[in-house]
Amino acid sequence: MALKALDIYKLLPKKNCKECGDPTCLTFAMKLAGGKADVDLCPYLSEEAKSVLGASTRPPIRLVRVGVGERFFKVGEETVLYRHEKTFYHPPGIVFRVRDTQAAPEIAAVTRRVRDETFTRVGADLRFSGIAIENTSGSAETFAKAVAAVEAEQAHLPPVLIAKDPAALKAGLVHCGSYRPLLHAANKENFREMCALAKQYGCPLVIRAATPEGLVQLVKDCTAEGVQDIMLDPAPETLGAFITRSTQIRQLAITRSVPELGYPVFLDSTLTGQQDAAIVLGIVKYASVIVTDPLTPGPAKAALTLRQNIYTDPQKPIQMNPGLYRVGTPDKDAPVLMTVNFSLTFFTLQGYLESTRIPCFMLIVDTEGMSVLTAVAAGKLNEFLVRDAIKKFGVENEVSHRKLIIPGYASPLSGRIEEATGWKVLVGPRDAAEIGEFLHEEWKK
Amino acid sequence: MRTVTFLPGYRKIEVEPGTTILDAAQRAGLNINVVCGGQGKCGKCVVFIQSGKVEFDRQKYGQFFSEAELQKGACLACETSVQGDIHVVIPETTLIQEQKILVEGVENRIDFHPSVKKYYVELQPPSLADPSPDLSRLLWGIQKSGGPVAEKMYAPLEVLREIPGILRHSEWKVTGTIGLVPGGYRLLDLQENDTSSRVFGAAVDLGSTTVVAYLWDLVTGKVVSVASNYNKQISCGEDILARVNFARKNGLAKLQSLAAESINQALTTASNTAGIDREDIYEVVVAGNTVMTHMLLGIDPAYMIAEPYVPVVRRALSVAAGRIGITCNPNGGLFVFPAVSDFIGGDIISDILACGMNEREEISLLIDIGTNFEVVLGNREWMFSCAGAAGPALEGGEVLFGMRANPGAIEKLTIDPASLDPTYSTINGIRPRGICGSGLIDLLAELLAACVIDRTGRINTGISNPRIRKTAHFPEFVIAWADETEINKEIVITENDIKNLIMSKASVHAACVTLMKEAGVSRREISTIYFAGAFGNYLDKKNATTIGLIPEIDPDQIRNIGNGAVAGANIALINRRTRKILDEIAYKIAYIELNAESSFMDEYTSSSFLPHTDLSLFPMVQKMLDECRIRKA
Amino acid sequence: MSFDLNFGWTSTIGEVMLGATKADGGTRRLSYRIGGGTTLPFLESRADSPSPLIALEICDYLPFWSPIVKNYCGDLVNSVGEWAKAADASYGADLIRLYLTSTRQRNFSDIASIRKTVEDVLSASSLPLVIEGSNEPKIDSEVFQTCGEAAQGERLLLGTAEAGKYRSVAAAALAYNHSIIAQSPIDINLAKQLNILLKEIGVQRDHIVIDPYTGALGYGFEYSYSAMERIRFSALKGDADLAMPMICSAIDSLTIKEVREAEPGLQDELATRWEFYTGIAAAAAGAEIICVRHPGTIPLLRKAFTDMKKPAGPSAVR
Repeated sequence: MALKALDIYKLLPKKNCKECGDPTCLTFAMKLAGGKADVDLCPYLSEEAKSVLGASTRPPIRLVRVGVGERFFKVGEETVLYRHEKTFYHPPGIVFRVRDTQAAPEIAAVTRRVRDETFTRVGADLRFSGIAIENTSGSAETFAKAVAAVEAEQAHLPPVLIAKDPAALKAGLVHCGSYRPLLHAANKENFREMCALAKQYGCPLVIRAATPEGLVQLVKDCTAEGVQDIMLDPAPETLGAFITRSTQIRQLAITRSVPELGYPVFLDSTLTGQQDAAIVLGIVKYASVIVTDPLTPGPAKAALTLRQNIYTDPQKPIQMNPGLYRVGTPDKDAPVLMTVNFSLTFFTLQGYLESTRIPCFMLIVDTEGMSVLTAVAAGKLNEFLVRDAIKKFGVENEVSHRKLIIPGYASPLSGRIEEATGWKVLVGPRDAAEIGEFLHEEWKK
Repeated sequence: MRTVTFLPGYRKIEVEPGTTILDAAQRAGLNINVVCGGQGKCGKCVVFIQSGKVEFDRQKYGQFFSEAELQKGACLACETSVQGDIHVVIPETTLIQEQKILVEGVENRIDFHPSVKKYYVELQPPSLADPSPDLSRLLWGIQKSGGPVAEKMYAPLEVLREIPGILRHSEWKVTGTIGLVPGGYRLLDLQENDTSSRVFGAAVDLGSTTVVAYLWDLVTGKVVSVASNYNKQISCGEDILARVNFARKNGLAKLQSLAAESINQALTTASNTAGIDREDIYEVVVAGNTVMTHMLLGIDPAYMIAEPYVPVVRRALSVAAGRIGITCNPNGGLFVFPAVSDFIGGDIISDILACGMNEREEISLLIDIGTNFEVVLGNREWMFSCAGAAGPALEGGEVLFGMRANPGAIEKLTIDPASLDPTYSTINGIRPRGICGSGLIDLLAELLAACVIDRTGRINTGISNPRIRKTAHFPEFVIAWADETEINKEIVITENDIKNLIMSKASVHAACVTLMKEAGVSRREISTIYFAGAFGNYLDKKNATTIGLIPEIDPDQIRNIGNGAVAGANIALINRRTRKILDEIAYKIAYIELNAESSFMDEYTSSSFLPHTDLSLFPMVQKMLDECRIRKA
Repeated sequence: MSFDLNFGWTSTIGEVMLGATKADGGTRRLSYRIGGGTTLPFLESRADSPSPLIALEICDYLPFWSPIVKNYCGDLVNSVGEWAKAADASYGADLIRLYLTSTRQRNFSDIASIRKTVEDVLSASSLPLVIEGSNEPKIDSEVFQTCGEAAQGERLLLGTAEAGKYRSVAAAALAYNHSIIAQSPIDINLAKQLNILLKEIGVQRDHIVIDPYTGALGYGFEYSYSAMERIRFSALKGDADLAMPMICSAIDSLTIKEVREAEPGLQDELATRWEFYTGIAAAAAGAEIICVRHPGTIPLLRKAFTDMKKPAGPSAVR
């Protein structure tokens, strides 16, 4: 995976024939190194070279789909232990669990909650991912009724069926088999029946064992039975056990030392007795499906936010939509502060501006998410961008003055911005925390 | 007529009264620095009148000189006119330095294979017995004189029309000029009698700010003169972006003609200095950055300045000089260097040719620093390149007392670690007016070694020394007191200036490291670092390494190639065989977009430390700094 | 088939002592040794590896503080001594972090009051103490000297050094043998640079705690999370200039929109969960000190840390 462009180049024919679409073998090698091209594009590669190059591009962790339709989600195909090495690709499904010992109306209410509850932040709608139904009663019939109660709500959510007895799962599948539910769980005693059910309905199957050896053996057994879509439940007794085992699975999978562990991980957050902590650790330590009891607003929002944060691509910072934002109710004399559309910058500045209680405008320009310093160094933040933004967002209609406050790190651009826009530029502080003082001293004048 | 005697060489020339000293010098074959083209703007053409009467407006141009100098008779050659017989001293620094540095080396190293040759022939006139047409008679004559096979030569229409008259008027004694162009051997010119000693060619660096031209005698393979002037496009915009926007609004024609005129001015000056006729210049080789090249050729560069940054053409081009308004021989040809991408242009290919990194197995790193910088890493098998904006700090911009490398700029500097007093030298030796790029690099390195600044460039205001001061804005260090300077003000460097310098150098170093990472090459595997760009002339290699501008390698392996663009153009002019490989070189270079490299910003932050956050990359610098600290303590 | 995780660590996290007991010349009832990690957080096989410490943040001037805290704690927040006592006796914190917010008032100059505040807190609680000084360069030096001297011998953790202002706090730390919090804006390179600068003026590595700056959950937390992971990784791979324990303090947690605008009955829940989710994630990334402002968060963190430290049995890894 860590093959450098030059190493790859050494394996290429170096004919510069352009048949792959790139002008030279070296640029093709660069694309391969960055995962932006397919090895098969080169018609002159030796089989050996192909296998060396190809081997490193197959994903080490299988992609598994849960559910169907609009709310289905997919997990797996992860490649790193630390998100900063590249990114985490597929956020875990966080699933609310109902027990079949609960009354039907309660079950229905939870289902509706998952269906409807949406928490919007940073322009994204965050929702819980599915419904888990647990066979607490031990009775197949009761279990089937509970599953039916969920499906009666027509929410079409991805289901997770949790039962020790394959017969209960079988009964439950009658009601929701077409929704590709995740089945929990196969162990060394019941795996044959579980696999049969998984195959029959085309469902992904969780296998459960407390040791890596146990998991490996079960993977072998289940794949021999013909089941490919597998998830691993390392049966943690404590939070510490989960951290250890999940880290182990992830590391052994991505280094391809133990390919049998190349599957997404399942976590039931209540089994360790510490639900919230388990959810946090599940999100940051590689769980792909997290089952939890329905959460009250505090943990609910925090969980969805944490998942959104951790699964953001670190190389693509979150961006705000460029535009003219208001802080408070600014009038025609209100200050206009220009900055970049990197969300962290935006929120930080906005926060400080709000606390100054001075109504003002924030003119957010499109630097593709780059921070001020980066955007200035890369030339992305330039006088033309500012000039075009002023025009595009009608700033000259909103204020009667022509004074623009720019971030301290953009000071090298001040002269050029003045020339390009005709506005007077005031260079603000480098640290947004000082904006209050700046406005008090410089703007009020 | 008045006699002008130039010292120290006692070269004499007779001129009309009123002639400028500059003209006189050029006629006398002395190459005076005329960066601004003789407009009294750059202050480089300083001479001293030892005796005799001249007219010079001291009021107007006195700013370039100190009182002491004026007493000694200093004046600007371009603005001083001869009135009586005079003796003029031309200081060494006023003569074009480049000529000395590069010319000697260059002539020795280049294989001589010009693409233009003249053949003097004495032909048998036609007769009834020998009725072959004029053209074939001429071409056969040329072939017999050692020229190419007649069938391989051809004559363009313009020349064809001249042939009958010239042949008969000269009684069949003519000189034919044959140029090897992509189409074959072309008869560029036919002249009466023997003009075979007059074949000249020019190699031009078409920079955004200055144009430099070398005029070569293509018979002897020697440089006859050098000229440089400002690029006239500056009137339409300071930088490339501004000019392209000008073109969008007002059309390309003006920029095209200004580019051609800038080259013409250089050709004219060079021709005058050498005492030759511009019409005897049969070939001009041009190396410039991609946008400049497009504008010179009248090709619309509008689509180059925005994503996806695509040039119209990047291969090497041969164009008839007349079609783009270059005033050399009307049938003369222009050869334009190829480019790699929007940002790596013919000037960089020229740098590569000049330093020869494309021929060697060892890995070299080439850095061309101007307002923008370009970096190329590689060897004869592979090359990676990238480009970025260093910001103007390294050229003196954005630094309070920064300036370009003009007279009065502090260009070298050391600081006594105990007293913190600087010792410096300025360009032209006059009192300081400011500090230029090479001086700034020295300053940064010395301040670091003296523990005046920490590794982030912040000044330690706790040191009690009158040179270290807090102010209302930024802390500063006094380089020169008001009574030492030419401008009657103190020359200082502020913490903000230092920050800008560090940011500039961080961009360059981060670019180098990004290429090294892409190639999987460590600094130990780099055998040579080449510096190019006008900036490269005065750089102190040790100090450049100390501040972490470049990766640390053995200082003996760091080379200044000065103006690599013109050096490469010279090579291509004199040795036409090198032109074939230029396209190959350009083609082979993989361009890396720094903005798209996620690791670049990380490396940039890492490089924003003196010399670098990872001190293990600079072991020699570390050792030196440790020793300084010990001595300090 | 081997299940060994050969991470290839070549080094360990340095250790820092906080607090001094009578035996060491102080008046604290206990002292802590933080750091010393030999692998990724919570993968240690050694039973005596420390749990993250939980610090309660208090201040001496309330207007700069979230009203949620006052609503929860009541009037005791009006007296910094009472507050410190509660932090120790009632809320169960491991450390007290005292913010001298009074120094951030315009034209503040009452240095004598600072001394008194520090003394009050030192006598109100015998827990090791972290003191956050002023932000105003003009009085910085005096404030840090005063704190340093008032708490001489107690092995404080003094905050906060940054690249542009580290000399004052470092001077006080060096003079009175305290440790320093070194803060950088979520960038591993800048964190390392600051540690190098501190080293060059004489601060020992075992007297530095890294603060990579923690953005609140939803407001940049993931950047901080990754910065911590990277610092930890580099440290274990041998970078001595990053091998220090880390502190996490998401000070904006109580002022961000989701918490500020929560319904009155839910505010405490939102506040504590916001701090909790941040704290657990930060601990998983390697932070050794977790700071909170809502006392309700403390028992939640404590319980979780206990379970996170329980080793995994036979498949414990290195």
